[in-house]
Amino acid sequence: MAGSEVARLTEHLFREQAGRLVSVLTGIFGIDRLQLAEDVVQEAMVRALRTWPFRGIPENPAGWLTQTAKNLALDVIRREKVFESKQPQIVAWLEQWPNESATGESPAFENELRDGRLRLMFACCHPLLPQEAQSALALKTLCGFGTEEIAKAFLTTEAAVSKRLTRARQRIRELAIPFAIPAGEELGRRLESVLQVVYLLFNEGYKASTGDHLIREDLCREAIRLGTLLAEHPAGNQPQTHALLALMLFNGARLDERTDAEGNILRLEEQDRAKWDRALIGRGMFHLHKSAEGNRVSAYHLQAAIAACHCAATDYNSTDWSRILSLYDRLLEVEPSPVVALNRAVAVAKVHGPKAGIKAVEAIRRADHLRSYHLLHAVLGEFERALGHFEIAATHFKQALKLTGLTSEQNFLLHRMRDCEEMSLTSTVPARQIIAR
Amino acid sequence: MSTKTSDYLLLFRGNDWSAHLSPEEVQRVVSDWYDWFEGLKAEGKCIGGHPLEDEGKIVSGPKGRTVADGPFAESKEAIGGYFHLQVADMEEAISVAQKCPGLDYGVTVEVRPVAELCEAKRRAEEALARAGQGATVTA
Repeated sequence: MAGSEVARLTEHLFREQAGRLVSVLTGIFGIDRLQLAEDVVQEAMVRALRTWPFRGIPENPAGWLTQTAKNLALDVIRREKVFESKQPQIVAWLEQWPNESATGESPAFENELRDGRLRLMFACCHPLLPQEAQSALALKTLCGFGTEEIAKAFLTTEAAVSKRLTRARQRIRELAIPFAIPAGEELGRRLESVLQVVYLLFNEGYKASTGDHLIREDLCREAIRLGTLLAEHPAGNQPQTHALLALMLFNGARLDERTDAEGNILRLEEQDRAKWDRALIGRGMFHLHKSAEGNRVSAYHLQAAIAACHCAATDYNSTDWSRILSLYDRLLEVEPSPVVALNRAVAVAKVHGPKAGIKAVEAIRRADHLRSYHLLHAVLGEFERALGHFEIAATHFKQALKLTGLTSEQNFLLHRMRDCEEMSLTSTVPARQIIAR
Repeated sequence: MSTKTSDYLLLFRGNDWSAHLSPEEVQRVVSDWYDWFEGLKAEGKCIGGHPLEDEGKIVSGPKGRTVADGPFAESKEAIGGYFHLQVADMEEAISVAQKCPGLDYGVTVEVRPVAELCEAKRRAEEALARAGQGATVTA
């Protein structure tokens, strides 16, 4: 291929530059003109699209985009009356903006850029905006996602995403949400909200689901990137930020191995641990260590610690289940949710046997939150199977199968169900006897 | 024996398509288009090509008295750029055009043969060839 000899664009360069440029331009135009900043950046991208294919990719693509965005911004400043009073300052500032963005930027300017990212992050994740708007806006402005990509990520339509974004920008104007990094007591509360959005983005990508595989990977990567930006900034450098980042890195390290080449779900015991990303796990351990500096234990801390146990085990059988169980006990105190309780039940079964696991699940069932949750039945199926109650296990898998619409999960559960049905034919324990127990 | 080639222009129409692309898509199209162009040049099928600015002027009327802005900045009709091809025939020119990376995003490609220098000369050459004299006509 002819093009392969030429300098290639680094992966996701446009996306990264878009996020970077939007936050700089928002600093210039004001957060109430967020759309204007986005439009200018889009126009810079479009200019590249129209000329690079013919003229070749410039030596410093990021610098080219920056320069083009800067020129377009200057045009806007000169054209629009609203900027008249501020014009000399803005122009002076823009002229200071170095052209060489990729390499030659001054450290002072780099700091300013970093602050810009954080300001935008705090503005987009403001608790007064609906959470779905927060995450869509973060993807659009901070991560350079298009509406179509956001729609794919949240399994919704482009029109719905556009509406969400428009309303969010409008709310920012109406509520005069500041483009600033909060300080003092407010910082903690606001950081919580930012972390929630970052975690939501990660989970959206992480959950084993249908939908566009590449988009899901992108979401996880972007969430890790935003988490890293936060952790590296004085305002975001807090124990819970490091805990969340560690959690995402541990889970991100195992992302690819959760399914086989055909997209079938691989259980933890079936995964090839040699293929887990050791570099990400290493970074995770670093941030887990950093997260221990405070005295508050957040849900992120406990989940990260649990994920660390899995990552640290050389094989499935050497997993420290009793430590995992005690971590789940504490997690349940911090975050008393039926889903956490169900995960805890798995740990209970590992430590005290499947019968104890079934008891733990029955206790959740009595609370009646999870009746239609397919994983509850899948977990019960596994416990019964471990006890040799294949017929009962098969009915649980069948029940779980009815409750999920995801092909990958359906295939997995169908396989488990058939397996149990076959085993029950050769089993010597009559089902009636078990049911009567 | 040299293979005879003819000249064709590929005109890329529609410059409103890119406004809706995400940065990731823009990057994909930029890379694919550039590879396509470089590949065609390396194969000797394309001898040049340029992008065109959106905004120009339209001169018309007697003595060119009317000078208007145009074409409009964004439209399905506006020509955003062109390739100059040298290929065997229309069929090959079409098959090149079909690989345009912008097609998926609403770009249309117009394939136009470059006309012979002079239609009368071509007819005269044909007539002489039929007559078997084998001479060439000079302009």
